[in-house]
Amino acid sequence: MAGLELLSDQGYRLDGRKATELRKVQARMGVFAQADGSAYIEQGNTKALAVVYGPHEMRGSRNRTLHDRAVINCQYSMATFSTAERKRRPHGDRKSTEMSLHLKQTFEAAVMTQLYPRSQIDIYVKVLQADGGNYSVCVNAATLAIIDAGIPMRDYVCACTVGFVDETPLADLCFAEESGSSLALALLPRGGQIALLQMDARLHQDHLEALMEAAMTACKGVSKVLDEVVRRHLQEVSVLTGE
Amino acid sequence: MSPMKLCVPGDKLCSTDDCIPGTGVYMRHGYIFSSLAGYVLKKNEGEELPVISVVRETETQLLPDVGAIVTCKVTSINPRFAKVHILYVGSTPLKDRFRGTIRKEDVRATEKDKVETYKSFRPGDIVLAKVISLGDVQSNYLLTTAENELGVVVAHSEAGAQMVPINWCEMQCPRTHTKEFRKVARVQPEYLHA
Repeated sequence: MAGLELLSDQGYRLDGRKATELRKVQARMGVFAQADGSAYIEQGNTKALAVVYGPHEMRGSRNRTLHDRAVINCQYSMATFSTAERKRRPHGDRKSTEMSLHLKQTFEAAVMTQLYPRSQIDIYVKVLQADGGNYSVCVNAATLAIIDAGIPMRDYVCACTVGFVDETPLADLCFAEESGSSLALALLPRGGQIALLQMDARLHQDHLEALMEAAMTACKGVSKVLDEVVRRHLQEVSVLTGE
Repeated sequence: MSPMKLCVPGDKLCSTDDCIPGTGVYMRHGYIFSSLAGYVLKKNEGEELPVISVVRETETQLLPDVGAIVTCKVTSINPRFAKVHILYVGSTPLKDRFRGTIRKEDVRATEKDKVETYKSFRPGDIVLAKVISLGDVQSNYLLTTAENELGVVVAHSEAGAQMVPINWCEMQCPRTHTKEFRKVARVQPEYLHA
């Protein structure tokens, strides 16, 4: 398409970023008093809200309780006003169900569920404005919400969506850039362990290595920002409680 | 007091040679890592190594464990058992109610087969009980009141007034002076208000 260069000759993307630059991340923890844990995150123009309840007694079908660990129940939904055209079906459609399942698998790897047998942890994520990297922003929001709720985790879970244009990996894709190949990676930064890797596009095998490297670097960058947010929130809370 | 160190999940705190892991931490490859966002607390328990744990200001959700004394409210009774909602574990209130069951044979220690649940508990009573089992997949927490210190602490009579305990199996209403049967807990005198 003429005029829509994802990466210009000087190395600038559509929104003026360089190939490895992340979008501006702003996050707040503890936005809802009534939930056990909550967080709001903005990554560029993508805005997501995550709320965590639990661990509490298993609700709904009792036969799904696990005798040795907690069950993590995730729900991903998008607000009807989050996309360019009003979304007809915010919950229950195939994409939301798939995203919910991916979120569940990601957090089952990081949360120490064996400390809470026979209980349930609920994670609800809502995308308020979708501008690319929905899954990654939701993972980051949910990480902050889980930390806010005081549920033990092995490490942060940081995620980033990366793409490949003109032999160059682009970190943190926005909506216009997602039309090509996009790979979403959820990482536990300190150990370098991958919680989830998802891609449904066509990519040559030779480029995979470079793309994954770029994704891991981007995730580590995100983890630094989230770390700062958590530490700042802890200090604010301790000042308020007079410690 | 020296300011306590902040830590976040995944922070390496020390090696297992220096400290014993407490709550809010986990061990991996011979090192101790934090699993919560909070403050690092090192306590010398009197053994060789200090215990390291991570604490938060706000209490995290506590789960009733086997052997814990819990405070619960009776929701329904039945000739075989009484169903309760667990409200407090020890002295920590729970944010969310867990469900428990007190079977007929766990109400008291003597004459277990002659127990009538209608004469031991009524719906709305506050009961002190001990957790004997987490239950299997289908059932709730199993509780027992088969000790002198366990049983009904607060009960309201049919007239609506809070009753006064007379002996281990009766309580009296101060307004109508009728006696009602309950399995009463023998609370230590220092815990009773004047």
